[in-house]
Amino acid sequence: MMLGKIVAVHSYKGGTGKTLLSVNLAATFAEHGKKICLFDLDFRAPSLATILKIEKAEHWLNDYLNGMCEIDKVLIDLSDRVHNGGKLFVGLANPATEAIRDMSAKDRKWEMRALGRLLALRTSLLNDKGLDYLILDTSPGLQYSSINAIVIADLVLVATTFDRSDVDGTKRMLRELYDLFEKKTEVILNKVLDVSSRAGKDAVQTKLKDIYQVPLLGVIPCFCDVLKAEGGVIFAQEKPDHPFARILDEMANRIDGMT
Amino acid sequence: MSKQEVLGKRPLLVLEKIRENLERLNEKMEIMIELQKHGRKDIQQPLADAPLDVMTLLSMPDHLRKTAMTLCRMGRATADEIALQTRRARAVESAYLNQLVIMGHLKKERSGRKAYFFEERENQG
Repeated sequence: MMLGKIVAVHSYKGGTGKTLLSVNLAATFAEHGKKICLFDLDFRAPSLATILKIEKAEHWLNDYLNGMCEIDKVLIDLSDRVHNGGKLFVGLANPATEAIRDMSAKDRKWEMRALGRLLALRTSLLNDKGLDYLILDTSPGLQYSSINAIVIADLVLVATTFDRSDVDGTKRMLRELYDLFEKKTEVILNKVLDVSSRAGKDAVQTKLKDIYQVPLLGVIPCFCDVLKAEGGVIFAQEKPDHPFARILDEMANRIDGMT
Repeated sequence: MSKQEVLGKRPLLVLEKIRENLERLNEKMEIMIELQKHGRKDIQQPLADAPLDVMTLLSMPDHLRKTAMTLCRMGRATADEIALQTRRARAVESAYLNQLVIMGHLKKERSGRKAYFFEERENQG
């Protein structure tokens, strides 16, 4: 039996499209018939609840990391939104201001225990529940919660753009973060202009491989439809024929093919 | 138990005790060798109860990070078990684990002849 994988979606800067990628990647895998869990580990700016239009949660990931409940209580089953018999569960970060403030004030000992509880998810979710993928949407940059997510991940997807400060920061993180933890890392270049032609796409890919020296999972053009949707449409579920959804489909297949 | 049996067991107990002491001596020598190799730079002040959080892991020298990360994943392990994962020699892992204990990041507990290393994550919540 193939064991499930933990995939962390991270970036150096905010606004690179991590959450949109995480949600659509999770939805794509679920549409492929997989058993998926998507976690919002961005405790400073939680957004999954809004994107997935979930009004209320009984328990949050904050509660799990605080040792106040087991992970089963946090999981929200969204499998009724999946068309192909796949399973989709989500775990949300509490968006209340007080909860954000509380998570920002945790000390090193708490963060160490949080890492322990995140490490335990491999057993409770991947082994016991038989999930195929646990996808972690993280905070940008060097935040405790993001680095904890990177430490537990089997694969780190780094969302980046051609913004110069983002390129510099991403290069540093590849060298000084993912490499140090010996993580398998793939880059996703998002919001790219002028990749309509084959030659343009090849040029971008060559440029990116030169800059980062790590495998490139995919290049996503800047789609007006995606911007217009304002985070309110999950393309993988609602518009599976849209080019954005098709690119995500290819990425999911490539991740599936990785050993 | 007869007197003869007691007398027969005594040399065995003495030998066991000698072996145990030799193992502890060996462990101490392994630490000294590693300290010499790395010029004592890795260990500044022995710290009491220094949490092994990700920022600490990031700032560690590579050779210790590998050991610490493996133990984080396993929760509790012997030097043998860590060596199996890292594919380094048991003696090397034993030395690194003991360094991490001295630095206050790990705890060590003996159970019979085995020494277990673990992170103290008590008071969860």
